[in-house]
Amino acid sequence: MDALRPSSHCRRSHARGSTRVDLLLLVAALALPVVDWLSGGLGLIDPMKAIFIYAILGLGLNIVTGFTGLLHLGVAAFMAIGVYSFAILTADIYPFQLGFWPALLLTIPIGAFAGFLLGGPTLGLRGDYLAIVTLGFGEIVQDVLRNLETITKGTQGINPLPPPTLPLPTAWGGTNGWYEFQADTPQPWYYLFLLFLVLVVVANRNLERSRIGRAWMSVREDDLASKSMGIPPVKTKLVAFATAAAIAAFAGGLWASSLSSTGEPSNYDFQVSILALCIVIVGGMGNISGVLVGAMVMIGVNDIVLQKIFSWMAKQELTSTGSVFGSPNNWKFLLFGLALVLMMRFKPDGLIPARKPRETGSARSATVRPKGEAS
Amino acid sequence: MSAMGANPSTAPVLLDVRGITMRFGGLVANENVSFGVREGEIFAVIGPNGAGKTTLFNAITGIYQPTAGDVLFQGATIERRFGGMAIAQAIIAGVGTSFGLVVAVNATELWAAAIDGNYEYGEPFPYSSAILSFLATMKDLSFGWGVVPAILGLFIGISASLVFWRNGRRTPDLIARAGIARTFQNIRLFQELDLIENVLVGMDSRLHTRFWHALLRLPRYFRERRIASAKARELLAFVDLADKVHQKAKNLPYGHQRRLEIARALASEPKLLLLDEPAAGMNPAETVDLMRLIRKVRDRGVTVVLIEHHMRVVMGISDRIVVLQYGKKIAEGNPDEIKSDERCIEAYLGKEELG
Amino acid sequence: MELDVQYLLQQLVNGLSNGMISALIAIGYTMVYGIIELINWAHGDLCMLGAFFALTLIGALGIGAWSGPMAAFGVVILLLATAGFCGSLNLIVDRFAYRPLRRAPKLTLLVTAIGVSFIFVNLGLFWGGLPMTVFGEGNAAAAPKNFPAIVPATPILGGEPGQVTLTVRDLMIAGVTMPLMVGLWWLVRHTKLGKAMRAVAQNPTAASLMGINTDRVIGATFFIGGALGGFGSVIYAINNGTIGFQLGYRAGMDAFTAAVLGGIGSLPGAVLGGLLIGVARSLSDGYLEARWTPTLVFTILILILVFRPSGLLGLKSKEKV
Repeated sequence: MDALRPSSHCRRSHARGSTRVDLLLLVAALALPVVDWLSGGLGLIDPMKAIFIYAILGLGLNIVTGFTGLLHLGVAAFMAIGVYSFAILTADIYPFQLGFWPALLLTIPIGAFAGFLLGGPTLGLRGDYLAIVTLGFGEIVQDVLRNLETITKGTQGINPLPPPTLPLPTAWGGTNGWYEFQADTPQPWYYLFLLFLVLVVVANRNLERSRIGRAWMSVREDDLASKSMGIPPVKTKLVAFATAAAIAAFAGGLWASSLSSTGEPSNYDFQVSILALCIVIVGGMGNISGVLVGAMVMIGVNDIVLQKIFSWMAKQELTSTGSVFGSPNNWKFLLFGLALVLMMRFKPDGLIPARKPRETGSARSATVRPKGEAS
Repeated sequence: MSAMGANPSTAPVLLDVRGITMRFGGLVANENVSFGVREGEIFAVIGPNGAGKTTLFNAITGIYQPTAGDVLFQGATIERRFGGMAIAQAIIAGVGTSFGLVVAVNATELWAAAIDGNYEYGEPFPYSSAILSFLATMKDLSFGWGVVPAILGLFIGISASLVFWRNGRRTPDLIARAGIARTFQNIRLFQELDLIENVLVGMDSRLHTRFWHALLRLPRYFRERRIASAKARELLAFVDLADKVHQKAKNLPYGHQRRLEIARALASEPKLLLLDEPAAGMNPAETVDLMRLIRKVRDRGVTVVLIEHHMRVVMGISDRIVVLQYGKKIAEGNPDEIKSDERCIEAYLGKEELG
Repeated sequence: MELDVQYLLQQLVNGLSNGMISALIAIGYTMVYGIIELINWAHGDLCMLGAFFALTLIGALGIGAWSGPMAAFGVVILLLATAGFCGSLNLIVDRFAYRPLRRAPKLTLLVTAIGVSFIFVNLGLFWGGLPMTVFGEGNAAAAPKNFPAIVPATPILGGEPGQVTLTVRDLMIAGVTMPLMVGLWWLVRHTKLGKAMRAVAQNPTAASLMGINTDRVIGATFFIGGALGGFGSVIYAINNGTIGFQLGYRAGMDAFTAAVLGGIGSLPGAVLGGLLIGVARSLSDGYLEARWTPTLVFTILILILVFRPSGLLGLKSKEKV
């Protein structure tokens, strides 16, 4: 269809459209706490944190699955690696006791290194074999975290963990020049997570529209043609894999800090990996805005909409504990599964199937083009 | 003959195929095929369907490993040699795996000795004595928990890195980077990418933007983007696709897709271009354009080897031709010689009109 | 350290016994993968539903109280009925979930399978919450249910301390799995349906041009794979003693690992992979610690794939150019 239309025009409107979606989302996200406050507290701020974390996780996975086309079923393992390295580096039962910021930054290289160790020997494998390797890695990490009790405290988890701190003059309410995030004031957390999400989105876009992103996508489109054009396949996949692992570990560190605990190892099980995969697919594979929408839909429905409906049902006394069918929580998997099946049947390209604007040098060269050559 | 001025019959040999044999189980696809392609030539490989032409291309470009024989490019084979790098990698992998495995199987004891044994709650951590305890515990490991995993790890690491080295000796990406580009018989474009992106992927081996440059948008990224995109547009103009820069490849008509594949291959600035049936599925007008394009490619200084069934194209543009039948070379020569060769006519040409 | 031969042999027997069950379930993965390149995520959960079906049937017919030859007859009924149930369920899922997606990308199919798996898990949860006497009174829906030992673990060989023991149950496992595997091999090699299956696996388009009804062949594959899973689920449940709605994930994971280890798409590979995984698990349980077994199994899997990227018996895939 596109072939019939003047291409440059069509493309540019796409690009503008997508940027508009992103800006709209950003404005809405910035305004939400205000709305929440004005309306007397809808309880939306806290669940939104989970949406941001999952969006970051989804953006990491999107690099491997959406851009590079590799099926990755163990992204939760890298999140767990981030969670536990953050915890071990900060908690006071361990000797390292770094602050929030250095520990959070360290989760990035630690995650990347873990991704490199797993991906290095296995990324030459064909797609489905790689899928089971990542799945197996997810199980290994969980078991190791559970079994190495001396180090990880097993199923007890590690807590407490330090919250973020920001420099704030004592005169403005800081203690000793620092402001420490409090568990009962969600707004600062909200904006901090939003800031990190924006940073990850920008990083994703920068990579997507570069030589690196093109190489990833060429592997996805046709790996044989890609290597015949001189793209080293394993190295290209490895960069994608390690980047995704780093982003997932970063999301993990952030999550651990906001919970002030690692929780138990099974919090980072296969379900989490699948949830992240569904976010990527539901939103629209390889589409950054799609991942954002996917996270909002999947986590939003799960943590906000369903909870509201359930509590309303409980108030109307529509639920019962006598029968397995009476508790709405028992229906979650069914709803989730049906949604996935129907979605794949009728909207397989995701909620935002519109072709992503693949900006290359040229299209964006409007910005670097000499003056007078207006587009 | 050659528009470059050099006389191809005296120009140096660019691609030297020496006794290539390709066997798949019991099937012999190529048997002892040899020929040389000189710089600046347009060289054609012809033969009936199933004669092993595409297999030969795949052997040259590293998609298959020849059962026997060598492919020399500019006088040497293209492969990663077993040298310092490979040995260093094997040692690093072996020692790393060995150390990692020992630490992993003794993680609890090591942690207890080094960390728990030295850390007093609230006291500063004595890093140096922690390291000493770590080393002491490592030294005291029993044979079964120390030496066995160490040797096992060393063995796994070294053998894995040797296996990887062997499998990665002669890969398509290495050969492409050395200066041999190709197109495919059944077009293999990056369907969801724009035309210009397809070309830029082809250009990848000539670009220098690193991960960090792209991630942080350093000035180098913008500089190279400007240059690369100008070059890609020039190549698209070269194959007459300048007006479709931002279309998706899959939306192009067939003939245009073939030309885009040529542009993508040229983007890597190859010395040698292998075209696998470039005229397949083209109408007569497109075929004439294609012949003109192939000559233009050669005039850029790129040597061309093509597989083609279209005799008008082959006889019209080739300097020399090699004929394959049942995987064996049965003739080699210039178009006039091939046209008059009894065996070629019998095997192949007799069935088709001569251009 | 002295090597206790009897102990080692016992671990091997247990391992082979469990491995055969894994192999039977693994065949369901490998058959579907071989023909439409789908990792049938719901297969393990299908087996879970099969186990619940078998337990319900026991309750309905009172099989648990049967003894002697009647018990053997009961097992046969259970096996056949559960196989029919799982096969039909798999066929129905294929008809309504996968068939409309034949031309869709592989990932779309896989996500559908994951969705089906969630639906199955939820159905298993509901099933376990039904007020039935076989499930035990007062058990919560999610609690594991006891599966009656209709095949006793009576030793037929050994049985004294210090002897390698082989039980009736081991015999039943071998007696069910081996004929099924041989039968399947014969079916794939020597029947018209088997030939059609191999043709569709090679090239569905060409097969349909040759007049093969590909949808029917794929449906038959789902039915057979599901039925084998049904057999597997019954002997798994008898051998395991308890069932629960989450058993599909564990059992499915073992079987899937076995299929990949052997080379996914290869029938002998699935059997070999299943046996190897079973033996590796029981050796690890017996000589290391049971809690490290999954880690060890997956590490072995990853290592084998590093050296043999297509699994032990998988064909090296030729790139089609």
